[in-house]
Amino acid sequence: MQRERQPKFAMISILLTVGAFILFVLATIVDSLSDYSNVLMVAGLALLAASWGIYFIGGRSLQRAEVATENVITVIGCKGCDIREERPFSEGDYVFKEIGPCKKCSGTSYIRAIYAISIKKD
Amino acid sequence: MNIVVVKMAIPVGQGLFPIGDDLSSIILNILWVVFFFSMILLFNQRLQIWTYQRNVEKATVKLQMLADKSREEALKSVQKYAQENTDVRSQVTAFLDFFTIEPVDRDPFGVLNRLEHLLDNRRDRFKAFVAQIAPKAGKAEAANTEDILEAAMALNFIFKVVRHFLILGKKTKSLMIFVQLDMQLPLIMKMAEAYFNAQKTFSAGKPIGDGLGPLVASKLMYGLPKRVIAEDIVCSETNISNRKAYVLKAEGPGGLLGKPGEAVKRLVEEMGGKVARIFMVDASSKLEGENTGEVVEGVGAAIGDPGPEKYKIEEVATKYKIPLDAIVCKMDLEEALTTMKKEIVEASDVIIEKIKKAIAERTKEGDVVIIAGIGNTIGIGQ
Repeated sequence: MQRERQPKFAMISILLTVGAFILFVLATIVDSLSDYSNVLMVAGLALLAASWGIYFIGGRSLQRAEVATENVITVIGCKGCDIREERPFSEGDYVFKEIGPCKKCSGTSYIRAIYAISIKKD
Repeated sequence: MNIVVVKMAIPVGQGLFPIGDDLSSIILNILWVVFFFSMILLFNQRLQIWTYQRNVEKATVKLQMLADKSREEALKSVQKYAQENTDVRSQVTAFLDFFTIEPVDRDPFGVLNRLEHLLDNRRDRFKAFVAQIAPKAGKAEAANTEDILEAAMALNFIFKVVRHFLILGKKTKSLMIFVQLDMQLPLIMKMAEAYFNAQKTFSAGKPIGDGLGPLVASKLMYGLPKRVIAEDIVCSETNISNRKAYVLKAEGPGGLLGKPGEAVKRLVEEMGGKVARIFMVDASSKLEGENTGEVVEGVGAAIGDPGPEKYKIEEVATKYKIPLDAIVCKMDLEEALTTMKKEIVEASDVIIEKIKKAIAERTKEGDVVIIAGIGNTIGIGQ
């Protein structure tokens, strides 16, 4: 599945892979290090394994980190005046529901709008 | 002890890739070649299958979790309005597999009439099921419960289809099945999450993004007398710049769509076709990069039904040569199915201004126009 990976995990994974490649090259080509070639190869494989692990851990979607919650607002207005009030949405609210007398002019209050504002949580 | 043995097998000073003509170098090189080619030729596809399969399995587990949670949410919603001794769980669980078979289209003649008939049957069965299982629900609550069941059914279906292809891929060991499924998973998961979030919105009875059309119509008809013009559709008559405007929308605040095509057709026929323009307002899916709440104008029947309602509008408009104006507000699938965003509420005022301007510019005084607010009217009265 194609997912957005967190950039820092992707960078670490790439760096580890490059490190493993350098170790493999050193173990194979440089004569003066040939006595340590086995150690270098094992270290290279360990780096590759770590890179692979980080790649998959980092593959857990960004969506998990950015769980969006919503704040739903009910806007109240009046037929007789320009009063505007906002309060959190409560069950049973709907747009153009009449909710009794206005505090300001004793006209009829009603719900003018209901909308959500997204709040992103990290 | 093992380390010593390995050390002896590898020629000192030549590492794991020895260059030389001694026996141990040749054997080690042959082993490397065999290992390399076996990885490339024999296990390559297996490794790929394993990687793709793992992704699909994780997605299937998540989809199952969403489907289970949405079923529980549906049960909770139904139980509020159910009789005490009713076995809600087994009935709702069985109903989640309800299906509709599309009409045959090899002979396309009359296919939309047949489709409309089947959609009517489906809606009647839904209404009957909700009335039977949740008899204490009022009209709005029953409509919302239908929407909640629709969302649960959609999630149940998505989960079952993905699971089907996962098991099929495992049985046939087909890389192509896994690759195709894996490539589509981001969109499938997005759709599933949209339905899951939509269900929570339906449960609370909040207005959704798709309710933009009904919201615009409500703002134009608020406080005016209303009459039912077609199934679940109400209509009001108002005056805009000395033109007679008939405004129609689904009857809220329950989650209804109604039959706006039938309503437009009846209105036009009532007036003998003497309608100057038909304005249609709806939510429209946005392309990536477009902004939510962007208002765009065009021509045509702006309605996203399976076909019959759109056909009726196009047919009656063509019959009487009535221009069809479409005004849409851009949003993505999740925004259309979840609580209406502030940008969309603000777009409704922009649309009203555009309608008034278009009426003033494109019609004459004394003309008759129809303004149809298309969409799900959950959480929006009139």
